[in-house]
Amino acid sequence: MNIDFGSELDAFRNKVAAFLDEAPTPAIREAGRKTTSAFPPFEEAQAWLAILIEKGWAAPGWPKEYGGTGWSVEQRYIFEEEYRKRDLPPLLPNSLKMVGPLLIDLGTEEQKSKYLPRILSGEDYWTQGYSEPNSGSDLASLSCRADPDGDDYVINGSKIWTTLAYKSNRLRMLVRTDSDGKKQQGITFLLLDRTDYPGMETRPIDGLDGFPECCEVFFDNVRVPQSGRVGEENDGWSVAKHLLTHEREVSASSPALKRYIERIREVAKAEPCPFGETLADDAVFQRTLGELEAEIASLEHFEKLAISGHDISLDPALPSMTKIMNSELVQRESDIMRQLSGLEGLSLELEAIRVGSNVLPMDSDMDLISMPFYLKSHATTIYAGTNEIQRDLIARTLPAG
Amino acid sequence: MDFSFTEEQQMLRDSVLRLLQQKYDFDTRQAIVKSDQPWSPEIWEAFCELGLLALQFPEEKGGFGGSITDTVAIAKVFGKHLLVKPYVSSVVLTGSILAASNNPSAVTHHSNILSGEKTVAFAYEEGRGTPDPRLVTLSARKTEDGFKLNGEKRMVLGAGQADLLIVSTRIEGTAGDANGLALFMVDPSRDRLTITSFQTIDGRTAANLRFDDVDLPSENLLDLDAFDVIESVISRAIITLCAEAVGAMGALLKITSEYASTRKQFGTPIGSFQAIAHRMADMKIAYTKARSTMIYTTALAEAGETKTRDISILKGQIGKLGKSIGESAIQIHGGVGMTDELSVGHFHKRLLAVDTLFGDSEYHLRLLGTE
Repeated sequence: MNIDFGSELDAFRNKVAAFLDEAPTPAIREAGRKTTSAFPPFEEAQAWLAILIEKGWAAPGWPKEYGGTGWSVEQRYIFEEEYRKRDLPPLLPNSLKMVGPLLIDLGTEEQKSKYLPRILSGEDYWTQGYSEPNSGSDLASLSCRADPDGDDYVINGSKIWTTLAYKSNRLRMLVRTDSDGKKQQGITFLLLDRTDYPGMETRPIDGLDGFPECCEVFFDNVRVPQSGRVGEENDGWSVAKHLLTHEREVSASSPALKRYIERIREVAKAEPCPFGETLADDAVFQRTLGELEAEIASLEHFEKLAISGHDISLDPALPSMTKIMNSELVQRESDIMRQLSGLEGLSLELEAIRVGSNVLPMDSDMDLISMPFYLKSHATTIYAGTNEIQRDLIARTLPAG
Repeated sequence: MDFSFTEEQQMLRDSVLRLLQQKYDFDTRQAIVKSDQPWSPEIWEAFCELGLLALQFPEEKGGFGGSITDTVAIAKVFGKHLLVKPYVSSVVLTGSILAASNNPSAVTHHSNILSGEKTVAFAYEEGRGTPDPRLVTLSARKTEDGFKLNGEKRMVLGAGQADLLIVSTRIEGTAGDANGLALFMVDPSRDRLTITSFQTIDGRTAANLRFDDVDLPSENLLDLDAFDVIESVISRAIITLCAEAVGAMGALLKITSEYASTRKQFGTPIGSFQAIAHRMADMKIAYTKARSTMIYTTALAEAGETKTRDISILKGQIGKLGKSIGESAIQIHGGVGMTDELSVGHFHKRLLAVDTLFGDSEYHLRLLGTE
C-alpha cells in the first residue's frame, strides 16, 4: 500500500489551482456560489465549459483519443478537489458524463464522429428521456412507442423528468419497439438530433425551489431517422443499463461534500448560539458536524479505494452503494445548512438567486442557497433509481438476495 | 380526563372547514400565493363574519371569550388547507398583546383587528432566529421626550401589509437578560424605519425591518418588563402554529397513503412494497405522536398549566416529526413530489416554516435536556 499521491503531483496541483484561480469569469463564479443541485445555472455552466474546452480540460473522464486529458486517477481527483474548493459550478453532466462515455463504449464510428466533437465543443447539450408518467422505478414498463416506417421511427407518447429539456438541443431516449414478450426486451435506445421536431412539445415543470429544472416532453407522430439508434432494435435495455453505471458513478463526490462542510464551519464561527458563545463552540453542533465529517471521510476513502483499482471496485453493488452514500450525505449536509440558516432560509429570494440579477441576498451567500439546496437534495434519493430500488439491488448481491 | 372538542368547537371547526373546502382549494390557494395579493380579502371577511377574529378574546374586550382549544380547533383546519392569512401575526400574537394592555390607543387598535379593518404585525425575531425573548437586542434608548430605536428585526410575518407594528425591544441589560424588555407600537411609515417585504417559502408575506434612530413618543410604549407578556403570547402562537402543522401532517399522511395505493409500479400499488409500507407506518406513528402531544398540550394550556417545558416538548416534537413526515411524503411520491404543482412540497415547506419560527426543534429539544 502507498497512500501518497506522489510529490510530482504537487506541481500538477499548483498548475490546476493557478488556472482555476484565474480562468473563471465573475459570472461563472457567481453561478458556482448559486448552484443548488447537480445542475448549475445553464448559461454560465456552458460558458465555463467553453473555457475548459479551450484549455483541453473539459472531459477528464474521457480517453485521450476522444479529447480526454489523459490524466491519472490521482490527477483527476486532485482536479476535482481544487475545482470544488473554489465553489465553481460543476459542468452539466448529461452530455459529458453520460452520452459521451456511452457513445465511446457503444456508438458506431459514424455516431462518434458526429456527436462527440459537438459535445466537446459545447455546441450540443443532451437531455435524457427515460422516465414516463407511469414508468418511474419500473422503468422497463415504459410505453412511449416508436414504430418503424421506412428509414424512420414514428414516436408517440411522453417522457418526464427530462432535465433541462427546454435548454437542450438533443435528446437521448428509450422507446418501446416491441410489446410482446418480457418488458425489458422490446426497448430501443434512440438519439434524437433535435428537441423541436414537428410533433414534439416541451413543458417545463417548476420544482420545489420555484425554478424549472425538469420537463415533460410530448411526442405526437414525431418522425426521426433510424440511424440515431444505439445498439440493435429491442436491445436498448442493455444499452441503458450500461449508461446507468455511468450515471450512478459520477465519481468522486466527496470533494464537493467536504467543501460544504467548510462553508458550514465558516458560518458557524460567527453564529451566536443560545447555549454558548458561537455555534462552532457548541458541543452538540460539534458532535453533529463531527459525525457528518466522519461519514464523508468514509465515502472519500471508499471512492479513493475504488478509483485506485482496489478489489472493492469489483463489487457489483458499488454503483448503488455510492449513489446511496452520496445522496443521503448531500441531504444531511444540506439539512444542516438549512438549520443553520434558520429564519434566513424561509425567505423566497427568486431574484437574488438568479445569476446576473444584481440583487443582493438578504443575508449570506449560504443563507441564499441553503433552502433551495435542501429542497432539491430530495431529488437525489429519487432520481437515477430511487434509493429503495438501489437497496434492493444491493440486497441482491448478498447471499440471501 | 376528556380530550375531545366540545360540540360547539366541532361546529366551529366544521364551519371553517366548509368555508375553506368551498372557497380555498389548493388551486385557489396557489393562485393567491402567486398573485400580488398577500392573502384573500374575501376569506378574511368571512373569518370576521364567523367570529374567528374575535374568538379568543375576553368578552369585555369585544371578544367571544374563547379558549386556546377553540383556536386549536380551527388552526388544524388552516393547516390542512395551507392557509395564507395573518391570523397568527395579527390575531394570536399582536391581538393578545393589545388586549392585555391598558394603553388607550391599544384599545382602539385591538378593536380594529376584531372588526377585520386592520392588521398588526409582531416584530420579534432577530438574526437567524430568536428562540427566547431574553435574546432580543433591538435597542430602545430613552430620550427627552420618548425613545430612539436602533437595530433589526427579521421575518416579521405580515409586516409589509400591517397598519401597525408591535416591536419587542431592549431598554436595558444585554442579550440573555429577562429584565429590560419593552414593547412599542410603531407606525410602519415612521421615518428611518426601512421595511423590506418578501414572500416566505410557505406562501406567507413577511418583512425585514431596520430601525436607524427611529424616534417614538412615550405614549407608544405598550409594556415595560415585557418578558412575561412576550413569552405568553409566543406560547400561544406556538400552540396555534403547531396545530396548523398537525393539520398539515394529517393531510400529508392521507395524500401520501392514497397515492401509494393507486400509483402502480411493477404491476402493483407501490404501497404494497415493504420499503414503502414501513415508511408510511412510520409516518402514521409520527402523526399519532404529534397529534397526541398537540391535543394534550392544548388541554394543559386551557387549564392554565403549561410550563416552558411543555411548550418545548410540543415545539420540539412537532418540528422534528413534521419534517420527517414531509420528507417521507416527498420520497414516496417520487418525481412528482419534487414539483411545485403538487401540494406535497407546499405542505412540507409549511412544516419547515413552523419548525423554524420561535426556535426550531433542535433548540427546543436541547432546552429540554438542559433543564
